[in-house]
This record gives sequence, C-alpha cells and structure tokens, in this order.
Amino acid sequence: MNKRFSVFEGLLGRNAVLAQGMVIAPIVVCCTTLPRALIVCLAFALLTFSTVLIGSFYPRRLFYAVRVVLYAVTSAVLFVPVNMLCLYLEPQLSGSELFRIYLPLLAVNSFVVLHSELYFYRRRRTVMCAALFFHILGFCLTAACVGVVREILAYGTICGHVVDMPLLLQGTAAPWAGFILLGLFCALHRRLFPNK
Amino acid sequence: MWLLSAFVSLLTTNLILTKALGTSTLMAASRSRASLAVLALMMTGFSALGCMLTGLLVQLAPVLWTGALFPIELRPLLYTLSVSFLYLAGLLSARGLGRERFSKIKKYIHLSAFNCAVMGTLYLAFDLPAMQSMSLSPAYFLGMRLHVHQFSVPGGMLFGLQTGLGFVLAALMLAAVRKRLYHEEVPAAFRGFPAVMVYLGLLSMAVYAITC
Repeated sequence: MNKRFSVFEGLLGRNAVLAQGMVIAPIVVCCTTLPRALIVCLAFALLTFSTVLIGSFYPRRLFYAVRVVLYAVTSAVLFVPVNMLCLYLEPQLSGSELFRIYLPLLAVNSFVVLHSELYFYRRRRTVMCAALFFHILGFCLTAACVGVVREILAYGTICGHVVDMPLLLQGTAAPWAGFILLGLFCALHRRLFPNK
Repeated sequence: MWLLSAFVSLLTTNLILTKALGTSTLMAASRSRASLAVLALMMTGFSALGCMLTGLLVQLAPVLWTGALFPIELRPLLYTLSVSFLYLAGLLSARGLGRERFSKIKKYIHLSAFNCAVMGTLYLAFDLPAMQSMSLSPAYFLGMRLHVHQFSVPGGMLFGLQTGLGFVLAALMLAAVRKRLYHEEVPAAFRGFPAVMVYLGLLSMAVYAITC
C-alpha cells in the first residue's frame, strides 16, 4: 500500500477525472451548463458512495468476477431511486441524452466496478469512506468547473443568469469542446501538481 | 467508393467520437498493437454476442411473461444478465486454456465486459423503429437491405458489430499518433493524457463538421 496515502488526495492530487482519466464521458457530453453538471454530480455522488459502501460488506471469499457482477447489480438497483430523484429535480431534462444514456452509465462507472477493488477496499471502512468522499468531491469540482466554463462560453449565462459576454461560441456545448476543455484542465492540473 | 462510404459511416456513428463512450478503454487499448488486436476482437465479440443475447431475451420475454405487457424497464436487467453471463462464461473458458494464458487474457475480458456494459447504455436508451435502426447499423453501408429491429437477434448483432468496429477504428486512429502524443518534445503538462484528450477533441470536431 502507498505509504504517502492521504484521504484528501482524491480531491485534487489524485483527482478521478484529471489525474486518473476516469468517468470522462458524462463530463465531456453532459456538463454543458452548471445545472446539468450538478445533476451529474448528484447522481454520481449518491450512486458511487452507496454502492461502494454496500459493496464493502460483501464477503471477500467470493470470486473477484462474482463480486464485480454484484457491485454492478447493486448499482443498477440503486439507480432506480437516484434516477427518480434527478427527474424530480430537473423534470424538463427527461428524455434527454443525460437521462437516457449518461445517468445509467454512472451505474457502471470505473469507481464502482474497478477502482473500489483496487483502491478503496484495501483500507479500513472509516478511512475508505473519507477517501471516497474526497474522490467524489474532486469529481464534482471538475464537473462543475467544466459546466461553468462551457455555459459561459456557449450561452453567456451562469445558472441561467446572463453574463456580459462579447462573443458566444455555441460550439463549445458540443462533445469536441468537452474533450478539448478537459485536455486543457488536465494540463493545468499537471502544471499545478507535477509530481502526482 | 464503397470503402470510403463505409469509413465515413463508421466515423459518423462512432460512439467514442460522438458520445465519448468508452474513452478510458480506448486509451488502454491503444497502448500496443498486440493488445489492440486482442481487445478489438474481444470487444467486437462481446458487444455482438451481448446485444444479440439481449435481443433474443427481449423477443422471448413476452412469450414467457404471463400477464400484462412486458415492462420496458426490465430491459436493462436483461442486458445486465446477458453481459454478466458472457463475462463469467468468458472467464471460465479462458481458464480452460491454462494458467499462463488465463493470466494474460483475463484483463482483456474484464475490459471488454466493462466496455460492453458502457456501450449497452446506448443500445437500451432508444427504442428505434426498424428503418432508423437499420441506418445505424453496418448493414446499411454493407449494402445489405435488412429491415431489422433494434431488439431482435440480427438487430442486436449488427449494433454490437457496429460498436466493436467503431471502437477498433478509433483505437487505430489513436494508436497511429500515440508515440507523438507521449513524445518528450511535447510540453510536460500536455504530454500523454491531456494531449490525447485534445487530439480526440479535434477528431470529434471533424466528425461533428461532417454530421452537421
């Protein structure tokens, strides 16, 4: 186990998206405005935290493959109430790609099916919960930043409030801009945390 | 001309460049040509078999389901069961190849099954009518005039083939420039993952321009 482990490392140094390249698709495609980014954050936080926590109670004696399937099934079951909550909060987005593709995708995100085994379940449960909380916070921070920048550039607003922008670049709401913006954020992260 | 239209069709329906689905797996696949070949083969097989099995179950379910209409909400469960079955079957059959080969192959099985689950979200997301479904499938550019429904055995197989081949195409495009993106002359902050993201963004922009 890494001796320099810190429960806070998931927030910035080992940020899930910027440092480890996980859960990229929802950020690239869906985080085009701050409200949409917040819905992604809420769904990710609820699904990941509850699934990883419940998964930590599954017996280690089970085969790895069986455990992974159990994590996916647990997440799929938890997805139903999470999806209902998100629909309640943003009913106008029902039927959008966010709800039809990317929220279900969060149910099988790398945190749940891969990272939980390799990183979280190797630690004591209290430490695991704290580390998981900061990893989720790191993801939410990235998603919110991408959402804010794209909303300003594409629509000239923040959370629907008009910002005085001389020029709008509506293309930045497209997936290609999500890739490029994420690349720029990653480079900035590398610059700020060169040894991580 | 046929090859060009096939290429353009695979590009414009590419799930990585248009929907960013499977980006993390793509980066793992493009590390070496050998891993790319094995992963591409498994990925295509997994997605084709997974979607085909789901199509078969969706067709059979109303027959076995006594009572009211078969609820659409249960399709993800059928898909999860299909992929889980394939995943376990793949691991068990790879185990039969011997311990050394199993240790080499198992990581590709994990990746393929994981990616198959990711791609499946799109398969389950839209209940397309037959004609739309056909235009999304390789049968459209292969010149096969098949009127297939998305949730049928051939429909599932064609969707799986399309996602698998699209993945291979994107992985080849990334593998071709990977050395340059990781070259020491690239500024340290941009080297590797950030450069790959920007490169994928440029490819995605080109596809966006074609489809708009």
